[in-house]
Amino acid sequence: MKVFERLSRLDRRVIFLLVALAVIVPMVVPLNLPVDITKPVKRVYEMVESLPEGSVVLISTDYDPGSEAELYPATEAFIEHCFRRNLKIYLMGLWPAGSELGNIALNKIAQVYNKKYGEDFINIGYRPGGAVMLLSLGRNFGDVVKVDYQGIPVDSFPLGRKVKSAHDLALVMTFSAGDPGILHWIIYFHARYGVPICGATTAIMAPQQYPYLSSGQLVGLLGGLKGAAEYETLVNKRGRGLRGMDSQSIVHLLLVGFIALGNVILLYQRRRR
Amino acid sequence: MKVILPLLIVFVCGFYMLITFFIPAKFAQSSAQMLQLWYQGVAAFFVFIGIFNLIKINVDRIQRRLKDWEYSIILLSFLGIMLGAGFIGGRDSRLFLYLFENFQVPLGATMFSLLAFFVASASFRAFRAKTPEATLLLIAAVLVMIGRIPLGYLLWHKFPDLVEWIMRVPNTAAKRGILFGIDLGLLSMALRVLLGIERSYMGGGEK
Repeated sequence: MKVFERLSRLDRRVIFLLVALAVIVPMVVPLNLPVDITKPVKRVYEMVESLPEGSVVLISTDYDPGSEAELYPATEAFIEHCFRRNLKIYLMGLWPAGSELGNIALNKIAQVYNKKYGEDFINIGYRPGGAVMLLSLGRNFGDVVKVDYQGIPVDSFPLGRKVKSAHDLALVMTFSAGDPGILHWIIYFHARYGVPICGATTAIMAPQQYPYLSSGQLVGLLGGLKGAAEYETLVNKRGRGLRGMDSQSIVHLLLVGFIALGNVILLYQRRRR
Repeated sequence: MKVILPLLIVFVCGFYMLITFFIPAKFAQSSAQMLQLWYQGVAAFFVFIGIFNLIKINVDRIQRRLKDWEYSIILLSFLGIMLGAGFIGGRDSRLFLYLFENFQVPLGATMFSLLAFFVASASFRAFRAKTPEATLLLIAAVLVMIGRIPLGYLLWHKFPDLVEWIMRVPNTAAKRGILFGIDLGLLSMALRVLLGIERSYMGGGEK
């Protein structure tokens, strides 16, 4: 069959073009597909809902612009949920660019909810040192965090004086794209100091976190853009997560189609031999 | 002495940190805390070493006119511009934020997004049921891909539950096995480093 022979030599640029169309078209013509809610995402939401007003949540944005498309929508949705519930936010990042991305989201949403810097939220910026830094942070917050991201002493803020050790934190939420990231928080922060950990990871990292979800070391998980879209649905906010799911749906279908076609060609080639 | 001194530092600091983990006494905890703070100081220097190394490699590339040396000029120029913007106006300045949001973020996102195109090409050419194991992997991958999108839910409302089961049971079992293997390897490597058997971190382990 000539068709299969031609397809087996298909120019990769044709595949690239189809992928580009599968991404762009649903952005121009939204399908508004409904998003189902999975248990790991619901657990994050319920955890935030269960915290009393005024509790301090530490958000760690441990990613860079490469993972921004997947993790930034989740960051915004989670911050919005925290502010709605009148929780206090401590923002930091184990990756240099991550703390900047977190800062953008935090300032944007703080303005909407009229939250004050130093009282309702604080940004302590990029913290190098990975695992060792987390161990120190848990033991004595004050020794590790003396100034915020602009160099202002944290003790000069009401919220800065509130957190002295890991035990003053009600929850840690890490938006993680690799190392250092979610695993360090689970191993060095939860195991040692018992602080509940929730996470958001890229889709490719999500399967790695299931052993920790099963063991209870991780309370809940937002996996990739789908996790962000689910969280946006729960907090009733139509953001980039939900908008991106239309494109992701079509691209996934396209990939499944490519896999099927590739295997049909394989079968055909085998029979010919 | 050049070999013995680093080995001694690693041995003493490593085992001291290990021992203090089990000693709740104040002196042990505060000294461990101090060592950890020193480590953070050292870790901060990694950034400087990284920048220094980046400049050195790219200047060398430009001087020797190696392949694609023109890109090194662009990289070094933007490194200088970002550093300048950060030092002059601070991290909250309009210029720094403009450069970050309009250059660094889109460029970083573009690099990662290119993966989608290569994955699509690979799915067509490489993801094939050549063996029973490959077939199993392929079926699981297809199910997860469909179940993780809203269309999967529309096709069959139990699809997400099926995917959740795959992630929670077979995936977790396999991951646990892999994690145990990795962690046992890490433990043995840590002991080898602490005892001075593994010396490659000193640059080849020559005596």
